[in-house]
Order: sequence, then structure tokens, then C-alpha cells
Amino acid sequence: MEQIKAIDVRIFPHRRLKPETTEKILSELLDLEGVLRFLVNGESLPNVVGYGPARGTSVNHPDRKIITVKGKEVELLVSVGEIVVTIRHENLEDFVEKTKAILEETLNFGFDVGVGVFTRTKTTVSDHLKIGYGIEDDIDPSLIGLVDPKTNSKETVKLIGD
Amino acid sequence: MDPDFEMKTIRSINDEDIVSVLGHRNPGESYKSVHPPLDEMDFDDDLMKDLVEPIPGAKEGGRTRYVQFADSMYNAPAHPYDRARTYMSRFRGVDTGTLSGRQVIEIRELDLEKISKTLLETEFFDPAKTGLRGATVHGHSLRLDENGLMFDALQRYVYDEETGKVSYVKDQVGRPLDTPVDVGEPLDEEHLKEITTIYRSDNVGMREDKEALEAVLTIHEARTDGGYGLGVFKNDLKAKLGDDK
Repeated sequence: MEQIKAIDVRIFPHRRLKPETTEKILSELLDLEGVLRFLVNGESLPNVVGYGPARGTSVNHPDRKIITVKGKEVELLVSVGEIVVTIRHENLEDFVEKTKAILEETLNFGFDVGVGVFTRTKTTVSDHLKIGYGIEDDIDPSLIGLVDPKTNSKETVKLIGD
Repeated sequence: MDPDFEMKTIRSINDEDIVSVLGHRNPGESYKSVHPPLDEMDFDDDLMKDLVEPIPGAKEGGRTRYVQFADSMYNAPAHPYDRARTYMSRFRGVDTGTLSGRQVIEIRELDLEKISKTLLETEFFDPAKTGLRGATVHGHSLRLDENGLMFDALQRYVYDEETGKVSYVKDQVGRPLDTPVDVGEPLDEEHLKEITTIYRSDNVGMREDKEALEAVLTIHEARTDGGYGLGVFKNDLKAKLGDDK
């Protein structure tokens, strides 16, 4: 497999984002050059109440919505608190500049944009413990650091574009 | 905290709505009791029972129920420790428990509803930064959402972007309500900054923050002195050695 140089850009808004805002930001970011993948992170929202007297009733959280990015439907499972974008290293400066411009336009509150490595780059000991040795051979390297290997990637990973 | 200080009433919520948000009984339902009214019970002579006047709920033999508030770190009007002290100094017959982000009061149901009314209608409560939460309280330390609401995994209250008001659509523990309970508009953020009892400043290093350092040092010194009882031991030792004259 051909090796590429990639780097993460972390977008950290000072408020949790509404699904509509997330949708807008994601769509605009996807149009920028060099984007490889997105990690949308935040506080997870339950589907049903897990404990207490109301256990089992559905939550219907307004933030747990299906958003449409580039014609693909993506179900938000979290209340969006940060977005980590992995991009090609050569597009970095241009990307950061444009991202800041997009955020300034869409958000009416503060945000931080950081550059660095914010996702795991290697499988870890706990990955080995959870699914056994040899995981590197089975897993698509572009998914490392994106998801907990134990979760069902059908639910948490969406392929958009080409 | 000062029980003589009169808190401003800034909203009014009718009693039935408070009962339904608390979720312990249906509005209009009578109170369930755990023992017969005190007047009808036989007791041995006890001086304490003559001295202490029971609270109305205890007199009736009502159940003990709770109300719990979560306070956002982003300038909620009150915070848990403050609440505990306030409850103790203002109300009789309460049992209160403090946790980092939430504060529970337990008291007889009859009195609970009166207390809840006070707490919900005065400046003690802000619809956006304070949450009425019986279970799944997580959220006090998280960023606010775009409308300024504290995170709630069960979304018991929702913000109406058209009217600018917050209303409860679920009761304390997350059971859906038949009719939403309107608790009014969130308080102004500038105003909250003035009245909040929380000390916070964002994006400042601990070592640059003189006020916080001073507070931490004072606590550290007091704890060390108090914990080791330095003065006490010294005097005690002196006394044992016959050196205290």
C-alpha cells in the first residue's frame, strides 16, 4: 500500500454544536482539498433511558438526528463537541486558513483550531486484548484511531464521496 | 445562604406543574403515607417530642421524597455546596446530599413541594444552567449548547427558538409529561456572571491566577495545621512535661 503523509486538524468550538450547524460545517469542509476522513466526537446520546424509574423509555434527543452530508445520510450518535479532520500534509496551511474562515462565518461564538496528531496511529495493547493478535492484517489502516475496534463499524463509520 | 435575605421571585409556575415535574405523584392525587398522623399515634413520654415541633409532612405521616438539581459550571446561579448550606439554614427537616455537580434534598413530600416551589421560582434557578434531574445527571462540567443550555442526555427540557423560553417535556427522571411545563426565559448571561456563586475563569494557568492560588494555599495551610493538630500537640506535650506554667 502506498504511504502518504497525513495530519490531524482539531476543531474545538466553545459550545456544543447543533446538528444543523454540524451538517453545514461538515459539508463545507468536505469541499476543501486534501480531506481524508472526519472524526465527529462528543458526549454520546442514549437511544433509550438506561437506568432509573424511566428505564426503557425512548429519549428522542433533538441532537441525535440524521444529517445529510453530500447526499449521504449520517446518524449523529453524539452531541457534537469536537471534529477531528485528517488531511494530506501538503494541504495543511491552506486547509487551516479556510477552516477558520468557514467557522468564523457559521459560528457566533469562539472556537479553537489545533494541528497535531489527535487520533491513534497504531493498534494498541487493548486492541490486541479485545480482538486478538493479527488485528493489523484484518483492519483497514485508514480506520485505525477512528473507531473503537470493538464497536460495530457499520453504525459508526460512513463512507462519503469517493 | 443568609436565611433573612429575601430571594427575588422572578417567575411563577403553578403548583400542579411542579408536582408533575417532580414526578412523585400525579397532580390531584392524595399524598401516600408511611405511618398514621402523629396525633393518632401513642408514644412513650419523651421530652424531645414536646420540644420539637414536627414539620407538616411529618405530622401527616407523608412519604419522604426528593428533588435534585444539577448546576452547570458555566455560571449557574448556585452551586452544590452553596445549596447545601442554604437548605440547612432556610428549611427545617431536610436531609441534603452534596455531590460535585448535583445536590439532592430529601424531605416529606408535602414540604418538598413547597420547597421546590421556592427553589424554582426565585433567582436560585435558571432554566438554562440549572437542571431538575433525578437520574442521569451528567452534564454540569460540559460545554453549553448553542442556545446556552446545559447538556442533558435525556433532554428533559427544550429551548424554543421562537419564543426564547425553556420548557420541561419530561419529569425529573425522564418520563414524558402530558403537557410541557414552561419555566420561562433563561437569565441573561451577564447577569448570571454577577450573581453566580461559582468561581471560575477560563483559559488561565493555575499559576497566573493569584486569587485561586491564595485560596488553595489558605485551605492547604488550614488543613495541615488542623489535621496534624500542631498547636494542640505542642501544648499537650508541654503539659505532660510539666512545662506549661
